[in-house]
Amino acid sequence: MLIEINALREELPAVAGMPVGRLCEQLAGLGFPVDGVDVSGPSPVLEVDVTANRGDAQSHRGLARDLAAKLGADLSPLTHLVLTEGKALVPVRLEAGTACPFYSTAVLELGAGTTPGPVRAFLAAMGAGAKGLPAVDASNELLHRYGHPTHAFDADLVQGGITVRYAREGETLVTLDGVERKLTGQDLLIADDVGPIGLAGLMGGDSTKVSAATRRVLLESAWFEPRAVRAMAHRHGLHTDASQRFGRGADPAFARVARDLLAQRLHDWAGARLVSAWAAGTPPEAGPAAPLTWAMLDRVAGLPVDHWEASSFLRRLGCSLGELPGGLSVRPPSWRHDLALPDDFAEEVLRLKGYEAIPAALPPLDSAPVPLAPEYLKRRKLALRLANLGFLQTVTLGFVDPAERQEAPWLDDQQDLRTLRNPLGEDYSVMRGTLLRDLGRVARMNLERGAREVRLFEIAPVFRALPGQSMTETWTLGLVWAGEAGGEDPLSPARAMAEPEGQSFLVGILKAIGVPEAAIRAFDHWPMASGGWQFELPLAAIADEPERIIPRFAPFSRFPVVERDLSLLVDLDQSYGGLRDALAAALAGTPLLDLRCVDVFRHKSLAEGRQAWLIRLRFQAMDRTLTGEEVDGWTNIALAAANALGCALRG
Amino acid sequence: MEPSLLPPEVADAHREFPAALAACRDLDALMRLKGTYVGREGSHAARLMEQLKAAPKEAKRELGAAINALKNQWEEAIKARGGELEQARARSTALAKAWDPDLPPPQPPPGALHPLTRLMDRMVDVFRPLGYHVEEGPEAETEAHNFDGLNIPQDHPARGSADTFYFKDQDGLLLRTHTSPVQVRVLRRIGARGADGLSELERTGGIRFLAPGRVYRKDEIDPTHSPMFHQVEGMIVGKGIGMHHLKGTLAYAMKALFGPAAEVRFRPSYFPFVEPGAEMDVRCPLCGGTGCRVCKGSGWVELLGAGLLHPNILTMAGIDPDVWSGFAFGMGVERTAMMVSQTPDLRLFFENDQRFLRTMGGLD
Repeated sequence: MLIEINALREELPAVAGMPVGRLCEQLAGLGFPVDGVDVSGPSPVLEVDVTANRGDAQSHRGLARDLAAKLGADLSPLTHLVLTEGKALVPVRLEAGTACPFYSTAVLELGAGTTPGPVRAFLAAMGAGAKGLPAVDASNELLHRYGHPTHAFDADLVQGGITVRYAREGETLVTLDGVERKLTGQDLLIADDVGPIGLAGLMGGDSTKVSAATRRVLLESAWFEPRAVRAMAHRHGLHTDASQRFGRGADPAFARVARDLLAQRLHDWAGARLVSAWAAGTPPEAGPAAPLTWAMLDRVAGLPVDHWEASSFLRRLGCSLGELPGGLSVRPPSWRHDLALPDDFAEEVLRLKGYEAIPAALPPLDSAPVPLAPEYLKRRKLALRLANLGFLQTVTLGFVDPAERQEAPWLDDQQDLRTLRNPLGEDYSVMRGTLLRDLGRVARMNLERGAREVRLFEIAPVFRALPGQSMTETWTLGLVWAGEAGGEDPLSPARAMAEPEGQSFLVGILKAIGVPEAAIRAFDHWPMASGGWQFELPLAAIADEPERIIPRFAPFSRFPVVERDLSLLVDLDQSYGGLRDALAAALAGTPLLDLRCVDVFRHKSLAEGRQAWLIRLRFQAMDRTLTGEEVDGWTNIALAAANALGCALRG
Repeated sequence: MEPSLLPPEVADAHREFPAALAACRDLDALMRLKGTYVGREGSHAARLMEQLKAAPKEAKRELGAAINALKNQWEEAIKARGGELEQARARSTALAKAWDPDLPPPQPPPGALHPLTRLMDRMVDVFRPLGYHVEEGPEAETEAHNFDGLNIPQDHPARGSADTFYFKDQDGLLLRTHTSPVQVRVLRRIGARGADGLSELERTGGIRFLAPGRVYRKDEIDPTHSPMFHQVEGMIVGKGIGMHHLKGTLAYAMKALFGPAAEVRFRPSYFPFVEPGAEMDVRCPLCGGTGCRVCKGSGWVELLGAGLLHPNILTMAGIDPDVWSGFAFGMGVERTAMMVSQTPDLRLFFENDQRFLRTMGGLD
């Protein structure tokens, strides 16, 4: 909201000498932070952020009222004639119940004169601009200065009486902006005897608008229920200065005052003469009183609040106070629709005292802390482990396009059910069922931008939806490795990734992050991106960390390890796991420490269809030093087992 | 020795000697040069000695002295050059062994956690000593958890399809617009009474947790907006919790996150699920408070929203607000990350260029 400093100072002389910076701090301290200061005009204009609950603060006088309460100062008195209620020239009928309980009006004959220069400047600063029509400009000025929207009709264009009612189906209204609006039964209308002449609290109608030819004006200053106005503004997509103020709650008690102020301005600026002023209905009462106990106030504030001071703050805000044992009975003023609960009044006391006065303390730890959930810890450890393995963690948005269905055919759920009704666009219309498309896209982008090797992972939930079941979100790990192996290593030559190498690499990663052997074997798809490797798996597939902080002690031998290498010629289709298991089985009962393949050699010098594996056997006993003879004997047993699989000792 | 007295090829060699000497870049080359000029056999010096033998007797003395002088001149120059080369070799041997930590290591550069992960993890680590644990909730949420349970009015604009993503044909199912529905879930859980007639809250005496996570709002992607971003929510429920506890907790956390010199401001604000409401601002890290584009001239940047739990949200969860009280706060992760790192464009966090991830990420 825009606030012109000079106008603010007119409402509250106490801030006349206050520097702008200090004024901004004061406003922020009351809950109205200043988002910007425009010093280009004759008076600085502040962009003030007013929260949605403070309908009353959406004007110069509204903010001045809070500042006055804070500073203990007085607002400038309103100087206008209070109009005497006279004869109703036309009937005013209120047929919308609580949506419009009060409507005041007056008819004036306009004389000569126009909007004064300072008012034009003020309206320009408000971004509104003067129309040069006193009735229109005065209504606008009142809105920005006092926060109460009013309206002026050309009285001679209004046919008969004024009715506030809900629209009938099929009715239409051309509003001041020239748009023809179709009305529904929920639209609150101002109508004359012919039909609609205004959308209540939103915008007047075109047919009765004030023009240079207008001789007599009919003023409207009413009170409309916030909810009704908000709903209409939303329905018509018409958010006006008026709807914003009625929608957040105008002051019912001010409606009649606003009419009188408007009449006074027309008299002062355009020599207008009052014909008659009258009203229908009664403004709604201020909200009921609530009990505010000193104990509650002290608890909220964290310090013993002085009773006299608290009472004085509330009184300065316009609340009426009554005594209660151990506290106060507090009734809000008519303009504060946001105050109802004791907590609301406690906030008011703190707001005026200043949040800077609240002491800072840490709450005592009076309940035992809960350990971090294993699923959460698992994600954190997993991410750290992958980062330590050279992978970069990505965060992608999670929206995908419907082509996911074709590109990720293994997804077996119903994509429609994880599709958004109101997406940002087709490309962002589906909540993803896999991380791999996003990872693949990011990998390609990085390669296109010159990365030679891409190692990425993401840990995020993926969605799965089946009819008749609630949507599930599964925490998932996705990983991609693309480009040239060693491409980012400055000291070793990069090379294309060979298939077995890529697979071993991924197996290494899966093992390193704790995917159980059986799950690795069961891995049936290794979707290959162009020139890369990727996989994803639910985090549940990764083994949980053992409960103990340190594993159970495993004894180890203090006697030497004896190694023997077997260089074997093996068929290319021999699986390593098969050979390994056969050797291990043959050596069961021997003090075999471990056995592993330490080198794979494939070369044209070897016989067609054969490769060479160097198998290292390591023996160690818990209780003695092994002799060369016994180790040779076990090695021969292993060789025999290898021979049985068709693997020959390489000559 | 008169040059005219030298055999022509030796005269040439003598003329070339300085250049040949300078061309010797190592001791081996110098040894070869030495052999060529002053070696026992076949060298230029040897050739002169043969000439001396053949010279007439009366000239021998003078010629011999001249040849010796020439030979000495060569030998001394070679020796001096040898000294230089020895020194150079010693220096390069020492250099070759020297430790140069700037040479790139023979492994690929390490991986990294995403900067947003790092910030959220850090938040958890900062709050852990205060007894906070982590609670989580789904991203596909119900209106009941995302709005109703948070005291957000039925006609609040945030509920509209212009602000909130809704799933198609999934009665009111939406993408959560904040991490606050986790509050509602936890409050309902701890407020529900078990078979013994006691609620979890009554059994434990209180709860305090953080809820980090992904949230969604219908904003077009631009330098400061994204339809998906992260929040970290914090909440405490106990007895006698007041604004001083909120202020003390946030002051501790902000100093832990932004350093002891961070200047923060605690001021009134409004959210439907807290009362009193508050916001915390931090002095603009870009301009230090003098006013700039980032803080829109105000010198302050909004950091988080907070407040005491609104009695309505406690009541809705079956918790008596006359007995229990608490506070909650919510912080935008991207916004904070941009502020602390002075990252100029929000989109960089979701683009995932490896160069960005490497420089902004890390292993802690």
